[in-house]
Amino acid sequence: MVKGLEDRLFNALVYAVLVFCALLAIFPILYVISVSITPFGEVLRNGGFILIPRDVTLTAYKTLLTQSNLPQAFKVTVLITVVGTAINLVLTGLMAYPLSRKNLPGRRLVLLMIVFTLIFSGGLIPTYLIVKSVGLIDSIWAMILPNAIWSFNVLIMKSFFEGLPEELFESARIDGAKEFRILFQIVTPLSIPVIMTIGLFYLVGHWNEFFQAIFYVTDRTLFPLQVIVREILMQSQQPLENADNITPTQTLQMASVMIASLPVLVVYPFIQKYFTKGMLLGSIKG
Amino acid sequence: MSSNAIKRTSALLTSLALLGAAVSACGGSKEGGNASPSPSSTQTASATGSASASPRASGNAGKKIKLEVIETGNNLPAPDQDIIKKELDKALNVDFNLTVYASGDDYKNQLNVRMASGNFPDLFALDRQQLIEFSKQGLLLDLTPYMDRLKQVSEFIGEENVKKGAVDGKVYAISKSSQIPYNTYFIRKDWLESLNLQVPKTIEELKKVAVAFTNDDPDKNGKKDTFGLTGGELNGAFAPVFGAFGVGSPGSIYEKDGKLVNALYDPAMKDALAYIKDLIATGAVDPELLANTALQHQEKAFKGQAGIVWIDWPNMTKQNMIEQIKAVNPNAEWIQMEPPAGPAGKFDGSWEIGNTPGRYAIPKALEKDPEKLQRVFDLLNYVSDPKGGSLLVQFGVEGTHYTKDGDKIVMTDKAGEVGYSWLYQFTGRPEMSYLQTKFVPQADFIKFANDQPRIQTLNGFVDLPEGYIASDADRYIKEELAKFAYGQRDLGEYDKFLKTLETTMKYKLFMDAAQAQLTALGYGSK
Amino acid sequence: MALAALRKYWPFYVMLLPGVLFYLIFRYFPMYGMVIAFKDFSMMDGILHSPWANPWYKHFETFYQSPYFGELLRNTLLISLYKLVWGTIPPILLALLLNECRIRWLRSIVQTLTYMPHFLSWVIIFGILIALFSQNGGIVNRWIVEAGGSSYPFLTSTHTFRSVLVGSEVWQNLGWGAIIYLAAIAGIDPTLYEAARVDGASRLRMIWHITIPGIRSVIVLLFILKLGHLLDAGFDQIYILYNIQVYPVADILDTWVYRTGLQQLNFSLASAVGLFKSLIGMVLVLFANNVAKRWGEGIW
Repeated sequence: MVKGLEDRLFNALVYAVLVFCALLAIFPILYVISVSITPFGEVLRNGGFILIPRDVTLTAYKTLLTQSNLPQAFKVTVLITVVGTAINLVLTGLMAYPLSRKNLPGRRLVLLMIVFTLIFSGGLIPTYLIVKSVGLIDSIWAMILPNAIWSFNVLIMKSFFEGLPEELFESARIDGAKEFRILFQIVTPLSIPVIMTIGLFYLVGHWNEFFQAIFYVTDRTLFPLQVIVREILMQSQQPLENADNITPTQTLQMASVMIASLPVLVVYPFIQKYFTKGMLLGSIKG
Repeated sequence: MSSNAIKRTSALLTSLALLGAAVSACGGSKEGGNASPSPSSTQTASATGSASASPRASGNAGKKIKLEVIETGNNLPAPDQDIIKKELDKALNVDFNLTVYASGDDYKNQLNVRMASGNFPDLFALDRQQLIEFSKQGLLLDLTPYMDRLKQVSEFIGEENVKKGAVDGKVYAISKSSQIPYNTYFIRKDWLESLNLQVPKTIEELKKVAVAFTNDDPDKNGKKDTFGLTGGELNGAFAPVFGAFGVGSPGSIYEKDGKLVNALYDPAMKDALAYIKDLIATGAVDPELLANTALQHQEKAFKGQAGIVWIDWPNMTKQNMIEQIKAVNPNAEWIQMEPPAGPAGKFDGSWEIGNTPGRYAIPKALEKDPEKLQRVFDLLNYVSDPKGGSLLVQFGVEGTHYTKDGDKIVMTDKAGEVGYSWLYQFTGRPEMSYLQTKFVPQADFIKFANDQPRIQTLNGFVDLPEGYIASDADRYIKEELAKFAYGQRDLGEYDKFLKTLETTMKYKLFMDAAQAQLTALGYGSK
Repeated sequence: MALAALRKYWPFYVMLLPGVLFYLIFRYFPMYGMVIAFKDFSMMDGILHSPWANPWYKHFETFYQSPYFGELLRNTLLISLYKLVWGTIPPILLALLLNECRIRWLRSIVQTLTYMPHFLSWVIIFGILIALFSQNGGIVNRWIVEAGGSSYPFLTSTHTFRSVLVGSEVWQNLGWGAIIYLAAIAGIDPTLYEAARVDGASRLRMIWHITIPGIRSVIVLLFILKLGHLLDAGFDQIYILYNIQVYPVADILDTWVYRTGLQQLNFSLASAVGLFKSLIGMVLVLFANNVAKRWGEGIW
């Protein structure tokens, strides 16, 4: 059957390209993992590039994990990530839904306001002053609130909400449902893909939180993971004239990358299953 | 959106922003606020008065005072594991709170923002630029009237360094005691032996050896995968070469025959460039030399790609470095090399005498809290006391991290616990003795590097004039010199290059300012 | 009239309230800082009381008068445009391909793998690039030499550096950028595909007529937003990767500002350049949104 052949060729093409993309992505990942468990001398001996490790050592990981500040920093990061992402999603969703209702008066104004902030910013010093006047300096909330909503994510969510069929809302309103109920009981379950996506973006953002921490917080016990990791790595920024400097090897650097990004890498495959089609199926007919 | 609508909404937005501005302006943004107010202001009178002479904490009958210090640095342990902090807390009756920033940029942001918001730390590191800016804006405490309370410090760092912290004659910052030079050429001894060559003593010999390293397969692996010379960009690899011609690094200013000279205008610069061009043309120099913006040249040396590298001894001779070198090739052996002799003699590059490895300032606002101010002075005096705090911040706790053998100090194997102590060396340390005590196996390398003659340059004393964009001129200089060195631009055009530099890049502004400032300091007028 | 709207739509306004408050406090209140660009900023005086620059465009002038101004602008625009063009399509393609992939485990693995490079910092990617493309023994050059050629300075040549910039960023962003499109595709009504299959449409036709239009709004949205940042061009990446030899093709506005503005503590200059970039970005966004409206898309 011609149809079957065409289908199979198409599939073959798809798989080929995908495998190619995977390879493009995989070799640097292998590189990072391999270098993180190979003693640095060995790394250098192979011209600085290792794909398959032969000599394995876990000293880099040991060094990092026994670093006195790390466990506390880890706790802080987990806390910020969980609480922060929850707040992010709620605030973003609450904004995106009304903005997706095309007949809402004032909608354009608010949208313009949001887009404007994507492009214009007051700068570091004024933002710091505001955060200070709100009393957030040196508090854990300084790492959550000043960036609680990302305009980009609001716009994406809004775009998705706009794509939901209008009949859905009409039938719900005819049934007498209030807007809040519609939002939470109808729209949300149907928007799982976008919620997962935006949630992922916020989650990764929090996990990698660095700048806001050192900018607004001086209490070391509140420093998140990435700050501690960066400290271990940042030798190249120190004056070279300082003999006391400890130069971190590539092995150490790669190990820190693994530690910092591993949990997030682990989360993603679980989220993937929510990217399935057919969420809308049955909602209108049912 | 119709243009009217756009106009309307833009107007609305602008008014929103202005409204916001008005509200926040009235609210919390007025600067000139106070430094972290000390909770123990209801002090017994004794605390303030008896401040001056004694280097140990004086008359502190009152509560612990919180001191906040910020600087760049890394690897500071958590407060409950910070031995040095605990000792300082005890000795000075303070709650020492040090925050270090791994990245210089992050630190700059933090410092700027705290200066701008009135949330001043009690002591902070800053560079010359910031020193000038902040002092001009009245943010720093003028230390000149307090110098009698900082006698220990002045003694420790020396009169020269005290001056380096001054702007327009007033002392606004405490400079750290001076460093010593670390860099020299390092050369692969085993490669020399394998090719039956001697350590080069002149620039001609340097060329021969570099070429041999490139063409004659010194690592004997049958592949032409080595080259002679590398370093940190042009100035890094050829520092001793510039020196051999009596020229400082490009853009540096120094005294020659009693007059002030800028290296670029030194007549010998063209000769130096001609030599460099020749050497590069032979193919004996790292083809990616100009991309060695960090430590790539060290890596190339370790990997066995380069045979001669201009670099600092810590990055070549510390234990973990040796391990890496040997891991790649157990027979590799690097030795230091004296700068090769040229028409002007032997000089291992330039050495900035106007610089200081760091400086710390106190916010002007702190004068409202005399007790805390005194504690800061106490701290500075304490870490400058060779019999007291200085030893703590250099080596740790006596008995635990080091022992005294008469006058000599010997590190114990627990010394590693306080490897971060340099973060507390607010006034620096006596370089030579410190390094030789802490890095015993490298003592010879340290001395060798320090002993080499160098051209003393004065740029650290020059403050950039208004309207001069240093980065544009610096870029132009780097680019054009690279072109001359790589034969992309004929050396005959050198004077044209200078002309463009002076006019289009406004270098003349810089030269005039340097001339004026340096002569005022007494240079170049002999 | 406004009151009637309030009565009818009040739940929506309540929903919007927390967000709007957030924007006002953390985004709009600090905007007064933009005036730094027109003042001679002094920390002691603070932003509002610093003296006005004389003339008001003084800092813009400093920036405009730099001998490198034209080059900076050109590099910024070119690099940004290349990244826009080359960077938009591959993630879409990847998303489409992943969507068409019938083998669940393959799709899962490829998706996870391709999104990993996003987590590598530019410092690490730089290390990888050196290991690959260095003239001294980078792997690619080793192959070239073995094949009889001579090694090529990919990382220091003005001919190839921009390609390195664009290529590495596209690679880094491939999988991560595809995530949004995948989520968008998941929102397409599957009955449309059913109907198309019944009508005998081929897979390609279904992609062209169903999938792509289905994610059209997202594509347009992202494109418009990227235009708003056209003059950014990627400071973090370029700052780490560049060196003096490639300045002529890679020095952008932000790297210049970094060397000039921050190094010499010149906030007003940095602010002026930032304002300049933002103004152009806003104009582009407004323009693009108008064009998009003609196709029924557009942000507002």
